[in-house]
Amino acid sequence: MAATNLQVKKFAAEGLWGNNPIFRQVLGLCSTLAVTNLVLNTLVMCGALVFTVACSSATVSALRNYTPRNVRMMVETLIIAVYVIIVDILLKAYWPQMSSNLGPYVGLIITNCIVMGRCEACGISNPPVGAFVDGFFNGLGYCYILIIIATFREILGMGTFLGFAVPYFSTPYWDKWIMMVMPPGAFFMLGLVVWFFRTIQIEKEKRK
Amino acid sequence: MIEKKWYPIFFMFVVTAIFSSFVIGFTQTTLSRVKANEKLIFEKAVLAVFPELYNSVKNASGIETHNAFVKNIKEPDEQTGSAYSYRIDNKVKGYAVTVKGEGFWAPIKAIIGVDADKKTVMGFAVYQQSETPGLGAEISKPEFRKQFENKLLSKDAQFLTIKRPGSPLNESSVHAITGATQTSVRLEKIINDGLKKWQESMPKETK
Repeated sequence: MAATNLQVKKFAAEGLWGNNPIFRQVLGLCSTLAVTNLVLNTLVMCGALVFTVACSSATVSALRNYTPRNVRMMVETLIIAVYVIIVDILLKAYWPQMSSNLGPYVGLIITNCIVMGRCEACGISNPPVGAFVDGFFNGLGYCYILIIIATFREILGMGTFLGFAVPYFSTPYWDKWIMMVMPPGAFFMLGLVVWFFRTIQIEKEKRK
Repeated sequence: MIEKKWYPIFFMFVVTAIFSSFVIGFTQTTLSRVKANEKLIFEKAVLAVFPELYNSVKNASGIETHNAFVKNIKEPDEQTGSAYSYRIDNKVKGYAVTVKGEGFWAPIKAIIGVDADKKTVMGFAVYQQSETPGLGAEISKPEFRKQFENKLLSKDAQFLTIKRPGSPLNESSVHAITGATQTSVRLEKIINDGLKKWQESMPKETK
């Protein structure tokens, strides 16, 4: 049942680029806007999301032959909720500071469309290993876009990267763009990033 | 079997039971740790409002912080009103007044340290807040908190005032955080309401 190398490559290419959750499917934007004002918060959120997508997709896949079609959505939500609660509890128990930084957004992973999207698109029709790999790379596809957004927002808005002062941007010469760490800054950055990646993608397709 | 009418209900029941018991078990095993973490954050904040105590626990481990709390801090009693107190040989060295109220996004809970003279502020610490990171959330950073040290509780309408950044300060006011107007306005109200409540809960002084 193991996924072949070719399959893994295909899942990776689709999740990271061809069918990227953010700039191609335009899913999961709520958390993209909410948690990208500090790079560290973003990294933890990404880790949580990759874990949730990969594991729930694999679990949905493992149960796919026993799940009646008419209740599959309920089962998927249930499975997703279990993994999200685990992440939430782990953070509360072992990283309380981060848990309070992310506030309600960890719990809100349940409603992140990427997770359910992958369960429906891949988990329900592929063997567990493939579903896990697919979920993992879709999670990563979400991560790198978020990290790009967060890096710009934190540097421009606060003059720091991962909390460390960045030369020039943390000095008085740089008038901090406070708007970048506020919600509107996220909209601008997301728009620019989607525009940028879409343009590259379209150019590539034209040349083919 | 999967075609049977009762199967979806049966399946949901079984799946829910299995996953729920798993989550409940997981919660139970980490519950004490989660509770301890929450308590520790509170204890550390109480210690943080007394500079002389805080310097000894700044980088201390959880258990050291807890021991310092147990050794120095007493629960509220009739002598201290609603405030925790820092005592040496049963003599009150300072009060830790807990204040709470609505912040910009969610409740803010904080502690104000007041000297035994009941006039001088010894320190300020936040132990729960969900303000905007980088803006309102700066209220829990030392740059903001340090401003409160040695301020005097005013006898006017407000004990402490949070003023616009850059404006002149007096002995009872501190600067707000640039760009976090809402948080500052709310925090000012939380602090003053909390201090008022504490003073009302204090026993009347015998002359």
